[in-house]
Amino acid sequence: MQRRWLLTVLAAGSVVAAACSTGGTGGGAPSASGSGGTSKGEIIIASDLPVSGADASDGIPTQNGVQFAIESTGSIKGFKLTWKGFDDTVNGAHDPQKGAQNVQQMLSDPKILGMVGPFNSNVAAAEIPVGNKGSLAMVSPSNTNNCLTQDTFGGKPCTDPNPKNIRPSGVNNYFRIAAPDSFQGPAMADYAYDTLKLTKVAVWSDNEIFGKGVADTFQAEFIKKGGQVVVRQDFDTKVTNDWKPFLTDAKSKGAQGVYAGATSGTKACIPNAQMAGIISGSYMTPDGGVNSQCIKDSGSNSADLYGTVAGANAELNPDAKATIDAFKAKFTKKDDIGSYTFMAYDCAKILIDAIGRAIDANGGNMPSRQQVVAALAKTSNLKLTTGTYTFDKNGDPTTPTMSIYHVQGTDWAFIKQFGVGGS
Amino acid sequence: MIAALRRLWETDPRRDPNTLTYTLLVAAAIVVPIVAAASGSSYLIGQIADAGVFVLLAIGLNVVVGFAGLLDLGYAAFFAIGAYVYAELASPYLEAMGIHGGIHLPFWLLLFVGMFVAAGFGALLGAPTLRLRGDYLAIVTLGFGEIVPRVVRNLGPLTNGVNGISAVDPPEMPVWLSGPWSGDPLKIVTDLKVGDPVGYYLIMAVLVAVCVVLVNNLQRSRIGRAWMAVREDEVAAAAMGVNTVRIKLLAFAIGASLSGFGGAFYASKLSYVSPDTFSFLVSVTILVMVVLGGMGNIPGVIVGSLVIYYILYNFLPDLPGYVTAIANSLGATGILQQSGDWPGLGEEVSRLKFLVFGLILVATMLLRPQGLMPSRVREQELQKGTHEDTTIEDVTAATTGVG
Amino acid sequence: MERPIAAPRATPIRLRGLVSSRVVNTIVLVLVAVVGVLVIARIWHRGPGYFAQILVYGVANGSIYALIAIGYTMVYGIIELINFAHGDVFTLGGFVALALLPMFGVKEGQPTSAVILPLLITLVVSMLFCGGVNVLIERIAYRPLRHAPRLAPLITAVGMSFTLEGIMFLWRGPFFLHFPDLLPRARIVLGPDTTIGAKELTVIGVAVVLTIVLSLFVERSKLGKAMRATAQDRDAAQLMGIDINTTIALTFFIGAALAGAGGVVFGLYFNSLSFDLGFSAGLFAFTAAVLGGIGNIYGAAIGGLLIGMVQSFSDGYFDSTWTQVVIFAVLILVLVFRPTGILGMRVPEK
Repeated sequence: MQRRWLLTVLAAGSVVAAACSTGGTGGGAPSASGSGGTSKGEIIIASDLPVSGADASDGIPTQNGVQFAIESTGSIKGFKLTWKGFDDTVNGAHDPQKGAQNVQQMLSDPKILGMVGPFNSNVAAAEIPVGNKGSLAMVSPSNTNNCLTQDTFGGKPCTDPNPKNIRPSGVNNYFRIAAPDSFQGPAMADYAYDTLKLTKVAVWSDNEIFGKGVADTFQAEFIKKGGQVVVRQDFDTKVTNDWKPFLTDAKSKGAQGVYAGATSGTKACIPNAQMAGIISGSYMTPDGGVNSQCIKDSGSNSADLYGTVAGANAELNPDAKATIDAFKAKFTKKDDIGSYTFMAYDCAKILIDAIGRAIDANGGNMPSRQQVVAALAKTSNLKLTTGTYTFDKNGDPTTPTMSIYHVQGTDWAFIKQFGVGGS
Repeated sequence: MIAALRRLWETDPRRDPNTLTYTLLVAAAIVVPIVAAASGSSYLIGQIADAGVFVLLAIGLNVVVGFAGLLDLGYAAFFAIGAYVYAELASPYLEAMGIHGGIHLPFWLLLFVGMFVAAGFGALLGAPTLRLRGDYLAIVTLGFGEIVPRVVRNLGPLTNGVNGISAVDPPEMPVWLSGPWSGDPLKIVTDLKVGDPVGYYLIMAVLVAVCVVLVNNLQRSRIGRAWMAVREDEVAAAAMGVNTVRIKLLAFAIGASLSGFGGAFYASKLSYVSPDTFSFLVSVTILVMVVLGGMGNIPGVIVGSLVIYYILYNFLPDLPGYVTAIANSLGATGILQQSGDWPGLGEEVSRLKFLVFGLILVATMLLRPQGLMPSRVREQELQKGTHEDTTIEDVTAATTGVG
Repeated sequence: MERPIAAPRATPIRLRGLVSSRVVNTIVLVLVAVVGVLVIARIWHRGPGYFAQILVYGVANGSIYALIAIGYTMVYGIIELINFAHGDVFTLGGFVALALLPMFGVKEGQPTSAVILPLLITLVVSMLFCGGVNVLIERIAYRPLRHAPRLAPLITAVGMSFTLEGIMFLWRGPFFLHFPDLLPRARIVLGPDTTIGAKELTVIGVAVVLTIVLSLFVERSKLGKAMRATAQDRDAAQLMGIDINTTIALTFFIGAALAGAGGVVFGLYFNSLSFDLGFSAGLFAFTAAVLGGIGNIYGAAIGGLLIGMVQSFSDGYFDSTWTQVVIFAVLILVLVFRPTGILGMRVPEK
């Protein structure tokens, strides 16, 4: 009795699941009308970011970028383009399980052809397999964990995550535009040793995937250059408020500067304020700290603050000025713009571009998800606000750009940018 | 069969709400997936399977908190242990330790391994601490709950630290029937790796059903009565010959084992484990499920866990959408737009999530302090207790003029 | 304070059947001795100046935990409730101060003399406000459940914690807030490599003064006596004509006032606040209360200091990733071998 019931459930469920996962191909008139019309139906680009609780300080400015890109585009080749935001936090913290559920939910809506996100690398590790099974195009503005896309990291094979293991279908559906960790830490290490002339530094990280990754690569490069890392600590920043013992330790060992492998959401620059009276020296952060929050957190000690951004400076790009001005007209508060806002904007634009080409490839009809992924992989020389993007076979940008910033007065000032290609 | 249905029909739901709840739950477990699948939202089925993990956890914690009356604030630790045991032994990860291809033990075996390892840790923690009375146990478990995720995070090569373990094997069915529903010809397949929500759901439903039956039987057994005795009056129970330490240890270990069991399934379903996901908040959430549902009453606990799960994973995330839709249908599009300091209605509501959840908890407990569906025995005790105490209160009110 | 009211009744551990208690005790003693020797060797190696400096930071950090822990211990002592919302009341204190300071026209960089009076007023107002809020919380969320199952108020406490966090989130958003850096930068040299700043002195001073005032109040005043009586036996106290509701409300008020002061001091010391700060701070403060012996005000203060110092020494001498593990391991060991905490608990067994 029971078994028959279960079989019926199974049958009904599987049929629908199968129907959903192949996506809503077909439908719509074959002739392509002007790009301004919205007669052919609706295409949705989703985002999956942590937008509530403590993580919201990262997630909301990033989501603003996606929302702005999609709403300002409006339509594509006769399809209406809309944005749908998902939140991967539960109880105020990013949750891989919630992320995986969100992707599963996106798969069940045939109108969703791609997503921007996720923000956190551990959410990505749970989402990629789900999205991969349904061929959902994913573009992340901020994931920098090397092993999400590459087989090796720092000369060692990536055992976990390993790109092959988390892509069960064998076809890559996950792309990102941030330069992986392997570039960002070393870029700052080189700058610290060569330009700032530091020889002894203290390094701490927030013990998260991103923070620990950049701190490790910074440390390795700095030592390779001939410098000395006098203290290395990893903190649980949720419960740590007091960095003074660490800074005192660093001072007693002669540190001339401090590198923080952390983001503003994990107190990247709060230790900088506490440095006052203990160490007078440079304070360096990766891109999660290059924002107004960091300057605020540094209090009166923001003068000697340096940061890297794993992307080009959108404000440097003359072509991007109109976009930035339009964004600022819509999102008026300073907190609305974060270091990933325009990275996320570009991710959405990359998806829109790929969907456009997929529509063409499908004769002006609603493309399938596989077609979008295929078009996305062929993205090449797309000029956007933070750089010109081409994806390599792993889904990484071929010529990631790295910029270095320095605080002057009350704001971040750009110092230089350089390509770090050749992954 | 007919006789059973007839009996069910004739019972008065007010006298026996549990039977009614079980019937409704079983009916919902069958109907909801069909409706969800038919309406094109098959992801819901997967989500119900995820909710099932929390149902398992809540049932397990109910043994500790509801039956034996021990407060456990670190329950997520055992959840983490179960999940990591599964992830280590069923993923390519151990290749990093020099084992080629990692270890891939079968799903069904590992469910029990996860269960026993978690129970072992439970016994290890419980043995020295269960002699402590009252809330000291709560605090020791709280400490343990804080230690486990941090140790996992710091063990580097053994647990892959902060990166967690990915590409964990999905559940497997030794025998399975494939057919048109999975796009294959109708035949019996062996060693199927379950990958679709329906498969997860079926496995989960079976696991939950088995656990409910087991725990129900335990409650009615000699052990269950001993738990109740210890909960009500430990000294009296000891005087009656109950080995209180052993009986508490048993509750603690059984609770831990169900948590480990849930953890193993969680790891296989999500195919990823990360030290971030077993924080104190998870322990608190499970406790909220148990207390809000009705401590000691299994159907109540199941309902409580489903309600809280729904609120946390569906209601709150979707709330901005609902509110926006309502505002749109009322024509009040003005408040939806962002302007100045006003972030737009949807955004504003999404910032309210914490607040809403907090208020829901407070309001529910104030309205139903005994939980949504309390056990009958406990409800009677409660009413009796209130009555006695009210008398004293009244006397004071009369003498001091303060009510 | 006087001796614990109830003799500790927890049985000493005896893993009967496995190993004799003597063996277990010996093993633990040897382990503690080994760890102790390692710690002392490390401390010796770094010299006394460094030690004193880390100690100063530890005491300052611990003073804040102590201020929060006292409220936890008082509330637990009187109604046996783990008041999860207490940590958020602490954050609220900082938030209120952050809102008040601009009203007095206080800005960074002003001379200390111009800042002292507004700061004192802010401190007092924040304390009163937090006290008021906590009394309100008790009235709404705990008092109606005084005769409900024991865990019901625990859940409303969690609910109030989320509610307070939600309110602060709505008020100031998810970002870290910069608290004005108002205290003088001057540092007093205590010895070679050891200095103490005005900030550390302020934090420690506020904590010491408030703890002394509180203990005098509890020991000497009539209301204090009522609080102790209620903690011992609520029904008997009631029969003696003590107004239970007022006494409990008073306990919540005082505890929250101290936590609010802690919040202000935290802001002044670390110059940073966030809406969810109280969750983890509360967890550590509660641990401190238990370590010291729950229900015991001095115990809570000492527990707070101890936790602050363990953090500092672990961060300054050892590996910060293990700091929290060390704290909770110390907690578990203390409870197993001395279940009543360091100073003994003052909660009668019921």
